[in-house]
Amino acid sequence: MTAAAVQEPITGLLDAATVLAVADDVWTSLVGDGEVLVPLPLPAPAETVSAWVQITGPWCGAVVVSCAEATAEALTGCLLRARPPAVLEPEDVEDALGELANVLGGNVKAVLPGPSALGLPQAGPNPPAARPGDLCRVDAQWRGQFLTITVQGATGAPHAERTR
Amino acid sequence: MTLTATSFDWVRQLVHRESAIVLQPGKEYLVEARLLPMAQQRGLRGVSELVDSVRLRPDAATTRRIVEALTTNETSWFRDGDPFTALTGTVLPALAADRRADERLSVWSAACSSGQEPYTIAMLVSDALPDAARRISITATDLSRQMVERTRAGRFSQLEVNRGLPASMLVRHFTRTGSEWEISPALRRMVTATECNLAAPLPRMGPFDVVYLRNVLIYFDLATKQAILRRVRELMRPDGWLFLGAAETTLGVDDDWERVALGRGSAYRPRKGN
Amino acid sequence: MRALVIDDSRAMRRIVGGILADLGYEVRPAGHGREALDVLEEGSRTGWLPDLACVDWNMPVMDGLQFVSAVRSNPAYRSMSLMMVTTESETGQIVRALAAGAHEYVIKPFTPDAMRDKLALLGLLPQAVAR
Repeated sequence: MTAAAVQEPITGLLDAATVLAVADDVWTSLVGDGEVLVPLPLPAPAETVSAWVQITGPWCGAVVVSCAEATAEALTGCLLRARPPAVLEPEDVEDALGELANVLGGNVKAVLPGPSALGLPQAGPNPPAARPGDLCRVDAQWRGQFLTITVQGATGAPHAERTR
Repeated sequence: MTLTATSFDWVRQLVHRESAIVLQPGKEYLVEARLLPMAQQRGLRGVSELVDSVRLRPDAATTRRIVEALTTNETSWFRDGDPFTALTGTVLPALAADRRADERLSVWSAACSSGQEPYTIAMLVSDALPDAARRISITATDLSRQMVERTRAGRFSQLEVNRGLPASMLVRHFTRTGSEWEISPALRRMVTATECNLAAPLPRMGPFDVVYLRNVLIYFDLATKQAILRRVRELMRPDGWLFLGAAETTLGVDDDWERVALGRGSAYRPRKGN
Repeated sequence: MRALVIDDSRAMRRIVGGILADLGYEVRPAGHGREALDVLEEGSRTGWLPDLACVDWNMPVMDGLQFVSAVRSNPAYRSMSLMMVTTESETGQIVRALAAGAHEYVIKPFTPDAMRDKLALLGLLPQAVAR
């Protein structure tokens, strides 16, 4: 196989500590001063919502944020801080979680080999599937609630041949 | 969470004692996030275990690292722009006119924190003078070893480069490494960073042509302010320039300085005949 | 002082718009570059031209880079300062935006202080707020 036809697994390009460093900046500045993601896993809730952005370039994949609906609502409230709309609509929550994914995605993209393009954020209960085994995940909690950030290779991307 | 209420309280009191910063109840997660890596590095399960081990065997280095991990604050590049505009606009041309062309000018950033001030100076002089690296040397000092190490590394987070650093300077003088930005090797070589406690007798350094001593004096009582200003003056050239923070002055503290208006701000020069 | 805030995220429009409003700016929002150009065209007729446009990069219909190029090619908008506010953070992208005519660049995520620092660089921080 030629080099262009294969995609290196994400774990060869990025580690969880880098994702967490990016997330740390996002939480302190966007979510709020003193707000932090604690990298300790929690059991996943029965239902989660997600938002994601696609990265297309030498590496193709997505950056996905997942948490419980109530957590997404609380995050939205923090993002909008002093300027919340009169009524928080589902679109506001999707939009805010999407913007979190967008900001995480842009900063993750900058660490990966480029040039690559960032897609527009999407949100919903079913994020795109990861290429099997090809993901870098931060299992964390925010204010004691479950939240994960996953950087994952696209299922369509060709596998790198394992040498040796 | 691995942090117990007792441990949080101990950390809160420690940070307040050492830095006067108040960690409000509700900041437990902040303490957890900032200290968990330190605990894990030491093979401990959680933050409370870290606190217990320090309480059992008090250790100044670990205590200091705990305080530093919880009190890091971002400093702006070009913080209060005037002292920097004055450097390339007035101070350097005046000094260069009085010195031989092969004489090095020496600048001291006396409370350099994570390095924004010395590297702001380095960027400015390298943009203003074609042979800046040969003509200017910058000494950066700080009380904190961690800050000195950060200054030496010259690496800054995304949030730090966002603080008042013009985008044109970011792309000219920094390269991205992972999630951080690294200052160019040429600028890093202009800066020598060492630990230095301004409130104690100073190491042999200088003599300096320009000193930035900003937002330091405000933390000390009058007698210590006077002692610091005297020690700093002893390390300066007689025709040197001192920059203080916007809320600081030598007036009413130490009469051996002359205040000079520069643009919208001011600088201080050793009074002649002392 | 007037500002146009262009971002496809309504949360981000509120965040950026809110910071500017707190500084005394009169703020108008737009969801993408095309909509922002419409606001400017309308503004040229009615006398509402902003001192500042804060513009995201990745947006539907017309992205921030295209918007910056369009504004810079129109002499009527010459006095307007353009500040990219985007998560695009590679050196090459920042260089492209500056080359297209952006005056400053704020990388998301940012704090309100970071926004104020950049406005100060552009001379757009109201004097009452500037230290």
